[in-house]
Order: sequence, then structure tokens, then C-alpha cells
Amino acid sequence: MKKILVSTALLAGVLSYAGGFRVSLQGVKQLAMAHTSAHAEDASVTFFNPAGMSFIPSKLSVVAGGFGASNKVTFQNLNTLQSTETDNPLGTPIYAAITYKPIEKLSVGFSFSTPFGSTVKWPENWEGKEMVQKMELKSYYFQPMVSVKLAPWLAFGASYIYARGKVDWDKAVTQFNGTVNINDEKASGHGYGFGFYFRPDPKLDVSIAYRSAIDMKAKNGTATFKFPTQTPYSLLKLNAAGQDGFSATLPLVEEYTIGLTYKVTPKWQVSADFNYHGWERYSKLVLDFDNAPLATNNPSDPTVLVNPKNFRNSKTFRLGTQYAFTNMIYGRLGAYYDESPYTNENFIPETPSFDTYVITGGVGFKLKQFGVDIAGGYAMPQYRNVNNANLGFYGQAKARAFYFGLGLSYNPF
Amino acid sequence: MKKIIISTVAVSALLFTVTSCKTDFDTDVKDIQVSKGSADFSKYVALGNSLTSGYRDGALYIDGQNESYPSMLAGQMKLVGGGEFKQPLMGDNNGGLLLPIGGGATAQIQDTKLYIKGFVDGAPDIGPINNNKAANLVSNILKGPFNNMGVPGAKVAHLLAPKYGDIAGIAGKTANPYFVRFASSPNASVIEDFASQNPTFFSLWIGNNDALLYALAGADNSIETLTPPAQFKTYYDMLISKIEATKAKGVIANIPSVTSIPSLTTIPTNPLTAAVLGKGNVAAGEAAIDDLNKNVYGPLSQILTALGAGDRIKPLSKTAANPLLIKDESIPNLGAQITAAAAGSGNPTLVMLSAYLGATYGQARQAKSGDLIPLTTKAAIGTLETLPAPIPASLGARGVAYPFADKYVLIPSEVKEINDAIDAYNVTIKAAATAKGYAFVDANAKLKQLAGDSGISWDGVKYTAKFVSGGAFSLDGVHLTGRGYGVIANEFITAINATYNSSLPLVDPNKYSGVTLP
Repeated sequence: MKKILVSTALLAGVLSYAGGFRVSLQGVKQLAMAHTSAHAEDASVTFFNPAGMSFIPSKLSVVAGGFGASNKVTFQNLNTLQSTETDNPLGTPIYAAITYKPIEKLSVGFSFSTPFGSTVKWPENWEGKEMVQKMELKSYYFQPMVSVKLAPWLAFGASYIYARGKVDWDKAVTQFNGTVNINDEKASGHGYGFGFYFRPDPKLDVSIAYRSAIDMKAKNGTATFKFPTQTPYSLLKLNAAGQDGFSATLPLVEEYTIGLTYKVTPKWQVSADFNYHGWERYSKLVLDFDNAPLATNNPSDPTVLVNPKNFRNSKTFRLGTQYAFTNMIYGRLGAYYDESPYTNENFIPETPSFDTYVITGGVGFKLKQFGVDIAGGYAMPQYRNVNNANLGFYGQAKARAFYFGLGLSYNPF
Repeated sequence: MKKIIISTVAVSALLFTVTSCKTDFDTDVKDIQVSKGSADFSKYVALGNSLTSGYRDGALYIDGQNESYPSMLAGQMKLVGGGEFKQPLMGDNNGGLLLPIGGGATAQIQDTKLYIKGFVDGAPDIGPINNNKAANLVSNILKGPFNNMGVPGAKVAHLLAPKYGDIAGIAGKTANPYFVRFASSPNASVIEDFASQNPTFFSLWIGNNDALLYALAGADNSIETLTPPAQFKTYYDMLISKIEATKAKGVIANIPSVTSIPSLTTIPTNPLTAAVLGKGNVAAGEAAIDDLNKNVYGPLSQILTALGAGDRIKPLSKTAANPLLIKDESIPNLGAQITAAAAGSGNPTLVMLSAYLGATYGQARQAKSGDLIPLTTKAAIGTLETLPAPIPASLGARGVAYPFADKYVLIPSEVKEINDAIDAYNVTIKAAATAKGYAFVDANAKLKQLAGDSGISWDGVKYTAKFVSGGAFSLDGVHLTGRGYGVIANEFITAINATYNSSLPLVDPNKYSGVTLP
């Protein structure tokens, strides 16, 4: 029974996308430069560091953009010689942000983003179907913020984050020849961010930012079981529709970022970033069912299912550069290295994650007050040996991914 | 400026690393060629008992046979030149056997398979399918030879026995109805039919029944016997020498400890709650407890306490689960003392029952941790022993008022006796494998792992030895499910690959059937 939901990492994918198997897609300009943060040209800085708003040249800045993220994961079992590929649909994260300076020293802004959105879709009948068949995740961040210029070279900014998430997770329950769908459309949480943005020299931008952990609370989740007959309903204490409610709290982890941009010449700038993600918070996922006694390994309270996750803190290193060919055309390049937040012993197929190198590039056009940017990224996830004894999941996994994005910006003043 | 240089160097380093990164598998499984190594799988024949035949849910039936571990092995062997694998399939998916007894009449000598009819208060309600009407005639002899020669119920010696397939010997238990179905002739022995096929590869997993049948009979010698280890060795070595003469390569497995199977670990030693005793009616159960305490447990407890054996029997509780009452032949018989004490009690009822009490409760005690209650005993709880007049009939309730006889319970000394024998058998088996260079499967270790708390996980499915919910054992609590047999098949494959340098792929246990839930 336990296995029915053992890997029920409810919003684990949300978590994973937040820092591990990370699709860093928050600004098309930024992505083109390896998703570095110390860029205060327009409102897209808001996601990275609210203090950056104070250094945006224009009084009002509006940006919006969208991405396509395509990825495929392959798992092979060297013991049984089975090989499985995911059939993931294209992910389409979007973002929009606006900043406004009512007075010179004060900036206010609002950022909307869908930072974590993906679907991992394994073949329904693949060997790991009891762990996951499909995991769809969506999230929305609503982030009002304010920034104060403390000195001509220094600003401090802070934001409030309201996070909203959806998880839709299918997996097989072969013991009953059925499936279960784990669903919560209304998980939510609150967090905050703050940062300092420095410009000690006109040539140098330094961004230091912290984004808090967020406890995403799924209070009214629904687990819907489908079996050929209804007999197991009473056994699992499900209602007449084969459902049970559950609640779970999911720690979205904190992130520390230090970034800097140096203008080597007026036309050429180089950026570097370092991120540190506090994944250690995600040591386990606890699902508390209303009635279903699924946790047979927890006799004192069999409705509380504890799944070990054992994530570890991880780091990302980023380097990017931009060159202005003219004052209308900009070329950008970057590369980054993103560490997986778990070891081979903790690999889980619902949120496959790899140490990943990514190369990025893009072009930007500035037409008066309008900016149009395009970017692309090619990821090179490092294949890994899967050695999860807890799940009895052994083999090798590899992935490939690429991203592209189109962003628009408006800086009227 | 320094920073720029550092950055530039770092970018170059990163890009350099990128070009040398490992994004693709060193070896893609699609390119892996499987190999038979030094083995020849062209004619594989499996020898064994019910575990080899694919028996499960208390019966042999087609689906189980198709999910027998030898059938799984043969499927993998086919990838490297293995031949056809023919099994003596039963006639249906219900199982059970009918023996013709003359005049066109038949006697049902095996029940149909068990299935879960439903759940009552979360507990499975299990019974034989098709109203226990079997349709497989033992006299319907199949044309062999067969690659799966697993014979349910066979002990080591049986594989050597001539006429083990003679239908005339079934009643006298010198023959086995399952072997009758596919023996080449009534005179044949299993090993002869094996050898005559000139197998190139064999598997042998035999010996379980030398201990298991005795264990399931509650270690009651009058029902089943435990094969003495020396005798086991004699027969086993004889068997191995006959197999060796065929020149076949092969794999042999040892015997799992029988005391960790669900059949012996599912029923608790203390199932007697007020609800159970009242058959669902708690008030009636509480009244029964009062009655038992007044007439049996109370007086016995007093008498035994006075005799210094007060730990044997304590009055029943209305709020907690109470232990079964059993007979333990290993403890001193206090019958005479109990009779004397009852006779001298001054209580007219006790005085009247004194002889009976001494005779019945001299070696009685309540079951405790370390005792094992076979699954089959559950149905016997509370059934009535016929008592001589004028003893009240209610005192005959087995396990409740009347101590369970030997066959219903394994006491710790019996558990030890059985496990010691299995340990000795396994020494013999391991020695044979080592001496002949056969691949060796430590089935005992694997099933111990299954019986442990963490069980065995495979692609997110966790298997344990827990009855029904553990997924690995079928409804008889003794034999494995298709999935459990898959786990075992992988142990065989691993051992074969290690010994013969072959690379048979493992099977995916999850794709076979587990306990069928309604």
C-alpha cells in the first residue's frame, strides 16, 4: 500500500524547478546572458532583485515576454535493458513586470511570473509508472515591491511574494490495477525578497539578493483513485467518488544571489552570477490524508505518508556578456552551470534533475522606446547513474533541453 | 580589468568543459548484445516443487503457471538461444483436482484457488473460487516431455521415487496427482523423466516441503514429518549425482526459512477480543469473557499461581486483545496437581470437573510472542472439541476454552527445530552447488529481505512478506505471487549470469500479477 503514494512528491516538481532542474526563464535579455542578474536596464530586473528598480533609467518601464521550453528525459535500465523516453509537451512560461518611479529616490514595481511550469510525461505503461506517469506543474508569482535609493550608488529593495501553484500528478496503482491522480489547484504561500544593488562605479553593477523560502500550503488537495471496481474504496476509506482529501506543506527554498556586471567598454559588458539554493529544507515530503490509511509503515498514524527526498543545497554559476553592435542592435552570449539538488541515490523520475551546462545567446533590438529581444538556450544535462535504493529505481538517466524566448519592453521616458 | 580577465578565463573554462561533458550514455541499452556466456540454454528443464510449478493461491492454475519463475527464466533465455518452454498447463484458471474413483464418480482431492470475495472491516474475506468445484481430472494425462517439472507437494526424496506418477498410488500417498498428470509412464520417476530429455540447462529448487509441510501442520508428527537432515543429505546428494550425469549446467537454490512466511506470521497470538468472542457483538463477547473467567481462566489461574506457574494462564481482559489458549508439550505437565487442587477446592463445580481439568490443562498456557499460528488455524478458533459428558460443551471451544492441540500452533521449540533443520538442509545444498560448480541462489536470504521491515523495492513498488498487502505472497500465505516469483526469477538470473558469464537481462517483477484484489 505504501508504495501507492510513496513518491507522492506533490509539488516536488515545483520545488525542483525552483532551483534544481531549473529552467531559468525570467527575462529574455537575462536568459541570453546566462540568466545573470545585475542588469538594471528595464523592469525585468524585478524578478532578480527589487533594488535593481532604482537603477532603471526610465521612470516607467514595462516588460513582458514568454518562452518555449522543450525537454526530453531518457531513462534506461541496464538490468532489464528497457529504455524509456518522456513525451513532455512544450513548456511555456511567461512573465510581465512594471516599475514606476514616483520620485527619484523611490521605485515601486510589480512582477508577475510563472517561474515553475512544466509537464513531465512518461509513457503510461513505463516501468516506473507507480512513481509517475505524468506530473504537471504550474505556478504563478505575484510580487509587489518597492526600492529606495539610499545613495546615488546604492539602493535597497524589498518585495512581497504571493505564490500560487497547481499540481496534477498521475501515477499507477498496480496493486489495484488502477491509477491515482493527486491534484491541488490552489496551493499557495507567502514569501519575501530583498536585495541591495550597488553601482560604485559607472562601469560596475553589483546585485546582492535574497529570496525567502516559501511554504506552499496545499490545504485542500484531492487524491482521486480509479479502479476497475469500487471494492478498494472502503478499504482505502475513500468517498463514493473514490476520492480522499489531503494536505501538505511544501518548502520552496530560499535563494541567495550575487551578481555583477562590468562594462568593459561602453559597448561591451560582462556579467557573472552565483546562486545558492537552500534545498536542504526539502528533506522529506509529508502528505496528510484525511482518511486514507496509505502509510502502512507509520502505524501510529497511517494517514500521514512521509516520503524521503533528501535534497541538498545546490549552486549555480553563470557568466554572460553583451555587445552593442550599434545603439539599436545588441548581441548576447552566456553559459552557466546548474547543480542538481540531489545525489544519484535520491533521483526521482517525477522531477528528473541533472547537473547541467547551458549555453545561451540572443539578440536585442531597440527601436525608440520599444525593445524586442530574442534569446535561446541549449542545455547539456550530464547523464547520471540512478541509484535510488529506497524506490528500487536503478539505471541511467539523461536529458536534453532547449529554450527560446521573445521579450518586449517599453521605456517611454 | 582583473575581473574581466578572470571572467573571460572562466567563460572559456566553462565552454571548454561544456564541450567535454557527458550528455549521452556511454552504452545505450539498445546497443547491448545479450550473451549466453558459457551456458547452453537450448534445452532448459526446471525441477522442483510447487514453487517451481507456479503454484499460488493454494492451487495450480494456468495464469500462475505462465508466471512461474522457470517460465520467466525461459523467456529471458530465448534471447540467447533458449528453446521452447513447455509446461503441463492445467485445464483452467480455477485449479483444483478431481480423482476418478470408479463408476464415473470423482473425488475432489485439491481445492480450487483462493480469491478475495471482498473486505469485511478492512480484512479480506478469502475463499476458494467457483464454489470450490474443481474440473481438472488427474486422469487426463498430458503428453510431454515438459520443461517445467515442478511438482507441487514434492519433497527431495519424491523426485527420485519410481511410480511417483502412478495414479493408483495417489490414495496411498506414494504418488503425486500433479506428477501423474504429466509423467511419461506410471512407473517413471521425476528424475528419470528429467534425464531422458537430455537437458542442457536445469534449475533445481527442492527441499522446501521437507520442512514446510511439517511446519504448516503445526509440527504435529502424526500429520507430517520433518525430514531428518542426514536423510535429506542422502537424497539430495543422490539427486544431484543423477542430475550431474546429464552433463547439464544449471542453477540450484536453497530453502527459505518457513517461519517468516505470511502463513505463519499473519495471525497474531492474541486475536481474542470481546468483539471476536461475541462474533461482532461486543456485549455478548464481554459476557463470554466473564463466563470464561469465572469457569476456566479464574480458577486455573488461581490453581496455577499456587503451583508456581501463574504465568501460564491469566484471566481475560474485556478491553484488550487476549491470547489464544494452547497446549505446549514442552512444559511440565501439571495435570495431577491441577486435579488435586480442583478436587480440594471445595467448589462443587471444580470438584466435579477436577479430573477433566487436570487432563485438559496440564500443559495449557496462553500463547505468547514466539509462538506461530498458521493461517489455517484462524478458522478453527472457537470450533468445538467433543467433550465427554457431563462437561459443558462450551468448554470445548478450541483456542478459547480448550487448549489448541499441537497441530494448530508452532511453539518456539518447534520453530527452532524446523529452522535448525532448514539450516542443515541449506548446508547440504550449498555444498552441492559448490562441489559441482552450479550457480547458487540464496533464496533464503532474499525471502528474509522480503520479510524485513523495508522489504524489496522495484521501480517504486515495495514488496514485503505481509499477507495480502505486501504484494509478494499469494493468498495461501506460502507461495509467491507472479510479482514475488519475478523477484525470485531475478535472483536466479543474477546467479546464472555470475556463474556462466552470461548476460541474461532481469525481468521486471512489476509487470506480473500481484494479489488480485476485487
